[in-house]
Amino acid sequence: MTVRVALIGNPNVGKSVIFNNLVPGARQHVGNWPGKTVEKKTGKYRYKGEEYELVDLPGCYSLTARAVDELVSRTYILEEKPDVVVDIVDASNVERNLYLTLLLMELETNIVVALNQMDVAKSKGYTIRTEALASRLGVPVVETIATQKVGMEKLKAAIENAAKSPKPASLTYPSDIEDLIEKLVTILSADASLVTHHPARWLAIKLIERDKEVLEMIQETTLDSKIEEVFA
Amino acid sequence: METKLSDLKSGNIATVTKVAGSGAVKRRIADMGITPGARIEMIRNAPLGDPIEFKVRGYLLTLRRSEAEDVMVSTEVQR
Repeated sequence: MTVRVALIGNPNVGKSVIFNNLVPGARQHVGNWPGKTVEKKTGKYRYKGEEYELVDLPGCYSLTARAVDELVSRTYILEEKPDVVVDIVDASNVERNLYLTLLLMELETNIVVALNQMDVAKSKGYTIRTEALASRLGVPVVETIATQKVGMEKLKAAIENAAKSPKPASLTYPSDIEDLIEKLVTILSADASLVTHHPARWLAIKLIERDKEVLEMIQETTLDSKIEEVFA
Repeated sequence: METKLSDLKSGNIATVTKVAGSGAVKRRIADMGITPGARIEMIRNAPLGDPIEFKVRGYLLTLRRSEAEDVMVSTEVQR
């Protein structure tokens, strides 16, 4: 069985370099996302006898419904449900990059974080406590220097490991927000088709954010009025 | 002292207190890391005063003057 892996990260973090390191050029396939002028790059590699299919998602800072590239990434993760999501974080700008990581955790994806450009981080004088970061996030973190092909075997091993024992990420918010999430989740769970396609908790968080796409999704259901009562 | 982000001079450091505006732009500004409590430094203006470059959360961000006018900051240095 093919393991499906999605690569995601902010622009200019070395995502394509990692893609090229993992997938030999001849095995890459470049096309477009259906109906979008956004490039879709896919490819396959083998590791320990297993086949892995890699999809390079558009580089993005956020996962809103407003920008085409962000929506492509978000829709892919929600609808195609890749087995593993590799989030490439620029080690020289961790604070900025972890925002996307948290958004991916909200989506309850099975994440592996690749802390890339470790050489740049070092030259800026940063020391990163990688293990502490992994335990605080609750997701595996691998250090890489993609341009020098450093850490690629470790990354493949971490992807293999995550595929074999999937562990969806989770994020806990302060209690007032959690209370609201809980109320919304109870209401949302009544619509079986809605929550099989999207994590109920994620929908609840997006409703609190007034996310355009999720609001429209809810308007098509019968839950609309009950949800508005929660916010009233 | 509270002032608009757009009124900072080159080298001024401030703390974000409030993001006004609405909808997509407000969300976008928050997505870029400009949230209450964030430290922000004005780097420089483009030749005609628009856009403006800032440093926030360890990276450089360029905003239109109209967007920077929607962000309130406190210039008292918070440590």
